[in-house]
Amino acid sequence: MIVCSRCSKDNQDHYKFCLGCGAELPRLSGKPSSSTDAPPRGSTESGRSSNAPRARAAQAEALAAEPQMALESTPMQAGRPEPIQEAKSDSLPAELAPLGDNTSPCPHCGAGVPENFRFCHVCGHDLVGEAGGETSDDPPAERTSAPAVADAPKRASTRARLILIQPDGSEGEMFPLSAGPTLIGRSSGGIFANDAYLSPEHAEFRFEDDQLVVKDMQSLNGVYIRIEPDVPIELFDGSVFRVGQEILRFDAPTAPEPAADGTQHMGSPHRGYLGRISLLVGRATTGNSYPIPPRGIHLGRERGDVVFPEDGYVSGLHCRVHSEVGHVFLTDIGSSNGTFVRVSNESYVPQGTFVLMGQQLFRAEY
Amino acid sequence: MEQARNYVCTECASAVPSGHKFCGACGAGVPHEAQTLETKFFGALQMPGKARLIVVRGDEAMGEGLSYLLQATEHIAGREADQIPFPSDTWLSPRHANFLYRGEKLVVRDEGSLNGVYIRIRGAAPIKVGDHFLCGQQLFRVDATPRDTSGPEADQTYFYSSPKRPSAFRVTQVLEGGMDGIVCCAHEHTVQIGREECDINFPDDIYLSPRHARVEMSGESLELIDENSQNGTYVRIRGERELSHEDYLFLGRNLLRVEVTA
Repeated sequence: MIVCSRCSKDNQDHYKFCLGCGAELPRLSGKPSSSTDAPPRGSTESGRSSNAPRARAAQAEALAAEPQMALESTPMQAGRPEPIQEAKSDSLPAELAPLGDNTSPCPHCGAGVPENFRFCHVCGHDLVGEAGGETSDDPPAERTSAPAVADAPKRASTRARLILIQPDGSEGEMFPLSAGPTLIGRSSGGIFANDAYLSPEHAEFRFEDDQLVVKDMQSLNGVYIRIEPDVPIELFDGSVFRVGQEILRFDAPTAPEPAADGTQHMGSPHRGYLGRISLLVGRATTGNSYPIPPRGIHLGRERGDVVFPEDGYVSGLHCRVHSEVGHVFLTDIGSSNGTFVRVSNESYVPQGTFVLMGQQLFRAEY
Repeated sequence: MEQARNYVCTECASAVPSGHKFCGACGAGVPHEAQTLETKFFGALQMPGKARLIVVRGDEAMGEGLSYLLQATEHIAGREADQIPFPSDTWLSPRHANFLYRGEKLVVRDEGSLNGVYIRIRGAAPIKVGDHFLCGQQLFRVDATPRDTSGPEADQTYFYSSPKRPSAFRVTQVLEGGMDGIVCCAHEHTVQIGREECDINFPDDIYLSPRHARVEMSGESLELIDENSQNGTYVRIRGERELSHEDYLFLGRNLLRVEVTA
């Protein structure tokens, strides 16, 4: 446990920022880390509201924290089907290992930034772009002003790009999407080849007029799209969504028929439940389930009716499931890592949308 | 059976010895009341009996505080039963349970009812997967952890599941109407039920104690433990169950207390 010097909250040993106030925590060990961590929630959220370009970098960084454990390819290659267990084991994944002590001051805000960071964890400043960027062919600052057109001369047919968001929040490889249908999966090779959570033929991207559309090719693990904060998305019977590492399914209420002799099924008071959400732990297996009362329920790591205290990728208060006029909705309430909804058959992918496929997170740009 | 000792024949005034049914002198019959000196009770409630059921919380139509004497050998309780009727409780099958004597022992038998007969446990009781139990207003079922269905596909695609937390068993809330409600997978070996700070909490169930009961796995077997709750914990009986004094039973919404008087 690390006790925060500012608010006295107990934090787990691998935390770099206080869960209570966001203050930077003293590091327990000087073990160097290969990659960076997520920024504190507080800074992410404040950044988002104040400064758009920087917020974007911070947001991407925060987002990357969500799938970063899943991104680990080592356990997969070793035949480990369950990357999540990494989080619980004593040896922390590299992303969660304590940071090195080597820091250099951020040119923008002066904060001590670990040397392996591409972005300042305090203000979101693009350090690589500042330094001249040996790999940064697509820095965030240019992204908005110089979109895909810049690449157009090289790839005339490219209409959109899937940009890989790396564990450290930086942008990785880019996958071009042409105007026609593009099939993506493990068999398409490249950045998809080593992702054991991708089906060989996983998803298809195509354009309908000016809109990018993704179609789930009946893949095993599906395609998830990050929903916008504070915009309710309707849930239907069987809808699946993802919060942190948790996969949840909504089921409409079902009940057996009363007995033929008129006897009704005895049970706990039924408070007008609108259905249930259940944790998916297998194809046909659910873990904990929670009925949804008419007033709705909140999900979070620390607060709410359904809490996931062991899932560091869930925000303190993350999202809620609620009802309006008999329909059930899911709303992200400003979570750091976002709430993702599994695409049922196909879905539009608006510009800038984050798409989760297999273990990898992408941003669609066009 | 004792007969009046100094009975005199009402026809011929001859003395009739005790035990004679007819007058030896004139042949007139001795009336039945004179043959037996049995004293009757004013009402059946006065009879000593062997056991009775007191309705502690009862059917709207029949009211609370009713007492049913168990004087016969079998006594049927149910929504359409004659002996122990609960006509307005739709949770009771028409013929729900039978209170009967096996020798001197009073037993209750579930007559194949839909919702079963629940008996208050004293301290702790063994429980099995599939068993139901009651705490406050809440009904639960103990379930086994389902078989893992998250293995890889034939094409070597791995299934992405929520983080798995090893669990020995689970407790499922059963809602009225039969739908499943809360499911709580045991972490470690216990599921605790109560109003606050338990694994499953019902802050608005006024009949639950703050820490009411728990299901615990010890070795291979499960145990249901009442944590000195005010209103008790009830487990559904399988088939037939011997009753003793001060046992409490739930039949649908009806709470009955058993009084063994003999």
